[in-house]
Amino acid sequence: MEESEKLTRLTQARGLVAALEANDEAEYLAGLNALAASQTQPMFEEVGRMTREVHEALMTFATDDRLNLLAEDEMPDARDRLRYVITLTEQAANRTLALVEEAFPVADRLMDRAERLQIELAQIQQRHADNTPLVDVITGLTEYLESVQQNGGVLKTGLTDIMMAQEFQDLSGQLLLRVIALLETLEGKMLGLLQKIHPVSAEKPAAPTVAALSQGLGPMVPGAKPHASAAEPIKNQDDVDDLLASLGF
Amino acid sequence: MDRNMKILVVDDFSTMRRIIKNLLKELGFTNIEEADDGATALPMLKQGHFEFLVTDWNMPGMTGIDLLKAVRADPALAHLPVLMVTAEAKREQIIMAAQAGVNGYVVKPFNGPTLKEKIDKIFERVQG
Repeated sequence: MEESEKLTRLTQARGLVAALEANDEAEYLAGLNALAASQTQPMFEEVGRMTREVHEALMTFATDDRLNLLAEDEMPDARDRLRYVITLTEQAANRTLALVEEAFPVADRLMDRAERLQIELAQIQQRHADNTPLVDVITGLTEYLESVQQNGGVLKTGLTDIMMAQEFQDLSGQLLLRVIALLETLEGKMLGLLQKIHPVSAEKPAAPTVAALSQGLGPMVPGAKPHASAAEPIKNQDDVDDLLASLGF
Repeated sequence: MDRNMKILVVDDFSTMRRIIKNLLKELGFTNIEEADDGATALPMLKQGHFEFLVTDWNMPGMTGIDLLKAVRADPALAHLPVLMVTAEAKREQIIMAAQAGVNGYVVKPFNGPTLKEKIDKIFERVQG
């Protein structure tokens, strides 16, 4: 305790004793309050300082363009991209499944036909058992037809495995839907917070910066807004070719 | 087991419906219909004389577990055999499904032989 503060406290204490001895209750209570205040004052000052700091931090948070951009543009954009991943994997899986569905009956027909021919050939062989050249040919054909049946089975097992592998689309899709839901929640909370502390939203850049462009924006997502304003959107290879042609390529 | 029995396959992912349908076809079942969640499936079940239900768990709208409960609560459907094919694999969930009256439970990722085994088991018990 500093010397001057010590003196003040001593004076206050002596004042308290004097007031008590003089039975002056008002003076005594006033003195007591003054002493108590000397203890609580620094605490109130500290609370005030912390409150200011929190307020300043929140203001910085709210006026940080990066955060506004994140909540208003980049998170919805990320959601669109994830949804598009689900669509792409769904298309790929369905294409594979369609091809498997086409191939399956082809394998079945090959195997059926081989089996029937084998039976017919066995009957012919019985009728012409003494015709050695014919029997040799039939033996060769029968071996081949047997291998067709075996390989048909291998083919069908492979096709079933290819079909089952498409299960990844369901599983990965479910995981992505969860991430999308998480992003939605996070985005809502962030927007709510930003609105509360700083109701006016910051100006958004209209187009991606040169830096962002050179980093690469990733595959184009149909219906995604944020970067759509960047000049003319390119839709397909024809657009790319047209653009290059217009540049003299 | 009647290979012509009417089967309803419920899953929100069309890819998975297609896979299950193909596997069932391989097993000889041809009378298969589809729904993409419980809310679509339930009215179909109530009208359609289905003899077997294959359902996912996690679907928007009405989940598979709620569909199962609704089926068991409906006197007309209470005895319908139900096979759950789902990625939900928590112990508590499997117990929950069992308590709700599921007849079989296949965890994704799965394969054809597993599906066949569970279906055979269900109909052995139902008919036995």
